[in-house]
Amino acid sequence: MADIWLGKLQSAQKTCLIQDGRRKIHFTFPDATEMAEEYDTKTNDLIVRKWRKKGTLGGAGRWEMEIGEQSVPINLEVEGLMESSLNPIFVRKDTKTHFQWRIRNLPYPIDTYKVAAKPEERQIVISTTNKKYYKKFNIPDLDRCQVQIDQSAIEFAHANNTLIISYKKPPQIVDMEKRFQQELKKMKASNDGDVDCTPS
Amino acid sequence: MAAPTAEKVQEIREVTRIERIGAHSHIRGLGLDDALEARQVSQGMVGQVKARKAAGVILEIIKDGKIAGRGILIAGQPGTGKTAIAMGMAQALGTDTPFTSIAGSEIFSLEMSKTEALTQAFRKSIGVRIKEETEIIEGEIVEVQIDRPATGTGAKVGKLTLKTTEMETIYQLGQKMIESLTKEKAQAGDIVTIDKATGKITKLGRSFTRARDYDAMGAQTKFVQCPEGELQKRKEVVHTVTLHEIDVINSRTQGFLALFSGDTGEIKSEVREQINSKVAEWREEGKAEIVPGVLFIDEVHMLDIECFSFLNRALESDMAPILIMATNRGITRIRGTQYTSPHGIPIDLLDRLVIISTSPYEEKEIKQILRIRCEEEDVEMSDDALTVLTRIGMETSLRYAIQLITASSLVCRKRKGSEVDVEDIKRVYSLFLDESRSTQFLKEYQQEFMFNEMVPDEMETS
Repeated sequence: MADIWLGKLQSAQKTCLIQDGRRKIHFTFPDATEMAEEYDTKTNDLIVRKWRKKGTLGGAGRWEMEIGEQSVPINLEVEGLMESSLNPIFVRKDTKTHFQWRIRNLPYPIDTYKVAAKPEERQIVISTTNKKYYKKFNIPDLDRCQVQIDQSAIEFAHANNTLIISYKKPPQIVDMEKRFQQELKKMKASNDGDVDCTPS
Repeated sequence: MAAPTAEKVQEIREVTRIERIGAHSHIRGLGLDDALEARQVSQGMVGQVKARKAAGVILEIIKDGKIAGRGILIAGQPGTGKTAIAMGMAQALGTDTPFTSIAGSEIFSLEMSKTEALTQAFRKSIGVRIKEETEIIEGEIVEVQIDRPATGTGAKVGKLTLKTTEMETIYQLGQKMIESLTKEKAQAGDIVTIDKATGKITKLGRSFTRARDYDAMGAQTKFVQCPEGELQKRKEVVHTVTLHEIDVINSRTQGFLALFSGDTGEIKSEVREQINSKVAEWREEGKAEIVPGVLFIDEVHMLDIECFSFLNRALESDMAPILIMATNRGITRIRGTQYTSPHGIPIDLLDRLVIISTSPYEEKEIKQILRIRCEEEDVEMSDDALTVLTRIGMETSLRYAIQLITASSLVCRKRKGSEVDVEDIKRVYSLFLDESRSTQFLKEYQQEFMFNEMVPDEMETS
């Protein structure tokens, strides 16, 4: 199953660019969906992965973050309302061996939290005994490769007002990511700065 | 004790009455019964029985939604309720049918060409009902906090805390959201949904946990369970958007390209064609439904010959709305030509229209309209005063008489009277001239006005 996703990535139209110490890759899939990834050039860690779909009525939608933090500031007057910065902030940040989620601004002690896998819904549910925080999320990587969610792969820890949930990557995913990295190495990246425009 | 209470009442009225009283705000519908017979006085409409019945028939055609591109002309003398009939139709159609109302002179602008303005008006009048997935926030209000800045001016700051059975989140509010929250009178204990894309707030009811505080609760208060799970949900909603809105969403130029193209407000015809075929595709797949609406052009004699020939063609398209026009002209010159024609509209266009005509009001009807207007403007008037005002209305014009209502009520309030009297009417009648008295005055004192010495000669030759 992992091969199907890898094939899809390979067939997508890709643009690569190195900027601010990050290798940025932009994918356009045949259905006009866009995906953008950013890797650290030194460690090859995946920092950002975001998606953009076309709206029902046409027009470009907005970027939805899968990994990493939204960097564009939200304009309150345009949006109407936004979540206050005092709320828990949910961010995914992977390591080489684990999928990892960090929820900042969660001051409650560790025994407040319950993290449960729901394999039939393909989701992980975080709930709190004091009813202050609740979140359902899926792991798109596992969905794409159709791997089941496994409760035993989940670990969580709490420190510095942050709840950290880790999920050990299954071997087929690790293998696929390795192969994809090799693929990326072959891609030519245009460097940032002045664009080559020597008149012929 | 009584004074503060009165003040309170005044305050509450101000909040609820955000709409101002316009010339046609007393119109609530066409005032027809189920058999499309016009009731003599109903929904703010008085008289014009034939015209209203005709409008009712047209309304049925629109509601059917099958016929595209019909034209209707409402013709009649000034002040015979042409615009009122159009407004009544708009009210009767409800909010889900697009109703665009423009004045004939609105399309003349330097920003865009006349045909572009007309095309946009046409496309604003066609709705597409489509299912769309949107993000909504659904929860029980724990707290609304709106802070005015200490200086009294500037932006308000707002905070809204919402909860479900599982979680709680604080939101910061923008100006628009604060306004709609105050308008909805949302308070702690209400269950609301907020559409994230449009910012629309819908009150679902009160939370069951609040069922025991009985204070100031209407009989129609609905109690609902506090929602479960996450606050933010994705939900499929059906809503109506106009073709023009879809045009705009798809025509906005992206990124730096906008620098070169500039925003002229015109939409390329390729974009429109693309959208037309897309909508046709949705319709075939059963994803969307077309809701033909109404385009109302008031003062249609202000359009020129180019617009009329454009209309001829545009009405033939199967995406055209029902076109309603109103004019108060008789046989006059068509704008942009030397030819005269009935209503200032070319014969070939007139041929494509059905014409509804309105006739001058009877004395009884004028009295009724004035009474309705008095009610709308909250003016108490004695019967004698109303009779006098009706006579004024008969001799001058209905509009002049309506204007006198407001003025006379002010005069009456200044003399601390509770009811507008004949004296007040007489007073304002002498203060404000009507059109015919003003003309009379001008005729008498012509010589004493400026630039008079050279005018008479030229006047006669032209």
